[in-house]
Amino acid sequence: MTFFKNIPFKQAIFYALLALCCGVSIVFVHHNEQFYDRPIAEITQVDVTASEPMTDMYENEDFLFTQEIMAIIKNGQHKGQSIHLTNDYSSSGAFDQEYHVGNEIFVTLDDRTTQSVLTGTILDLKRDQTMVMIAWIFIFALLIVGKRQGLFSIISLSVNAVILSFALDLYVKHGGVSLLLVSGICALLFTIISLLLISGLHTKTYVAIVSTLLGTVIALIISSIVMWLTGENGLRYEEMQFLTRPYRTVFMAGLFIGSLGAVMDVSITMASSIFALYEQDPTISVKALKSSGHEIGKDIMGTITSILFFAYLCGSIPMIILYLKNSSTLGLTLSLNLSLELARALAGGIGVVLTIPISQYTAIFFINRKRVQG
Amino acid sequence: MNVVVLLAVILFVLMVLVGGRQGIRSFLSLFLNFGVLFVTIFLMTNPKNSPIILTFFACTVISCISLFYINKTNSKTITAFISTMVTIGVLLLFITFVTEKSMIQGFGEESTEEISIFSLYIGVNFVQIGASVIIMSTIGAIMDVAISIATSMHEIFYRNPSISRKKLFTAGLSIGRDILGTDTNTLFFAFFGGYLSLLIWFKDLSYSIGEIINSKVFSAEMTTIFCAGIGIALIIPIAACINAFYLIRTREKTEKLL
Repeated sequence: MTFFKNIPFKQAIFYALLALCCGVSIVFVHHNEQFYDRPIAEITQVDVTASEPMTDMYENEDFLFTQEIMAIIKNGQHKGQSIHLTNDYSSSGAFDQEYHVGNEIFVTLDDRTTQSVLTGTILDLKRDQTMVMIAWIFIFALLIVGKRQGLFSIISLSVNAVILSFALDLYVKHGGVSLLLVSGICALLFTIISLLLISGLHTKTYVAIVSTLLGTVIALIISSIVMWLTGENGLRYEEMQFLTRPYRTVFMAGLFIGSLGAVMDVSITMASSIFALYEQDPTISVKALKSSGHEIGKDIMGTITSILFFAYLCGSIPMIILYLKNSSTLGLTLSLNLSLELARALAGGIGVVLTIPISQYTAIFFINRKRVQG
Repeated sequence: MNVVVLLAVILFVLMVLVGGRQGIRSFLSLFLNFGVLFVTIFLMTNPKNSPIILTFFACTVISCISLFYINKTNSKTITAFISTMVTIGVLLLFITFVTEKSMIQGFGEESTEEISIFSLYIGVNFVQIGASVIIMSTIGAIMDVAISIATSMHEIFYRNPSISRKKLFTAGLSIGRDILGTDTNTLFFAFFGGYLSLLIWFKDLSYSIGEIINSKVFSAEMTTIFCAGIGIALIIPIAACINAFYLIRTREKTEKLL
């Protein structure tokens, strides 16, 4: 029990509140059917009635199954009645899925026929229960391991998400505002909020903010120049998903926001280590600061670009597999599915590498100013 | 000239200017990692191969390249490698469970139009591929934390060789906490940027909150972000523990010899 005794009173209250929130939200998502407009049904019985192997025109082999499902409607005017549904799914499950007893699903009801049992079509799985579970695991993992820093990174994630959503609302409702301007203002807010939460009110934070903004803007300018010089040769926008707006601005805005995190990572790492050296020995020469900054920069450059690289490229794996299995040629598949992601990762990488000297010189500039003042 | 090629050339030149020989190696390792990723995707198209097992192998090769090739083989990179692999193993189990439960595999209804020309019954296991995508997206960050913790803990140990195992472990944890914030940040923004068009899509077509949360694409995106965070949090105690264990054991061994 010593573990509990060591926790101060305030923290105990915090954890108790958190546990309460967790419990309440989990109970809520399991009983929130009446808040949805769409009918929801809980599956009570599943029978696989047919299964057949199939081969498509590209000689891909798969299995098709048909499920007869009995479910109980959980909301709306038919609440409590049972409904009969059929579900076709394949063993690969690219666009369909197998349902199990206990799953809750969104359905549409057929017009009432003479039959006594309701019938309908399955729309999709109700995923909020799983999402809330994962969100809580995420929150607890970050809090238990990261303590204060974990809490701050959760706060930073949620505040930034709210800002982004709010800004996009503004953008969508007022057609006149340019997306680049909106994302520019967002980027400014994101940088200030995240860096303040990561390292607090300190000169190194200001250094990091300045160099992040410089680094991202320069990287963006370089990528624009490159796109202009090459006439966007080789960028295949056709496969850009979920488009309702002009694709080029959406792509550039995504590139801007996407590289921001990595650039922040570099600039705060550089700024804190250079300031740490200065605080250890306030008489340290500018030359020594420069060369240590250089060493640190070299070390982090590779890892941070590869973080970006994997985060961007892996998202296209399912689509590439779909293309390849549909006998698309390798060159077409890769250029259609990877050109934008590669361009984004490379532009982000350029931002990361550029930020190394930028943050190094900004930090030294601030240190020199401090020395003059001190 | 192709945009991607020109950007790659600029990145290469900058890396060489800033990092010298190490810059060349960093660039080469990006290139090699791309090759590994590509071969993995190619092997995944064969339905007989399990994507999960392939991912595990791919992660092993990728960590070997990034750790042993860039930073050379020594006790730091070996402990970093072990911690990365342990974390990936644990995370793979968790993510497979999650993707099966939330059924976020494959393509959502938002992509209906673009995939309508394809045959979808292609025999590969999309649930496992979904899990692979999530784990591969985060491997960069996981390795970064692993190597940073290993390097700093070795440093602490050499400066203070009589440190106790528990103190060393706590020191490792606190180093991990400092990188936790920046690394989760990097990934969050990368995903935000990547899914900007999806978010605008939701706003333009005025999805309700209920529809957004339950849609496949959004759930998949959130799961990726959450799992990335969980992965980064998970490797901190694992790496601290493995490094503390290794460093103290080496000390005990040398003490015995004396």
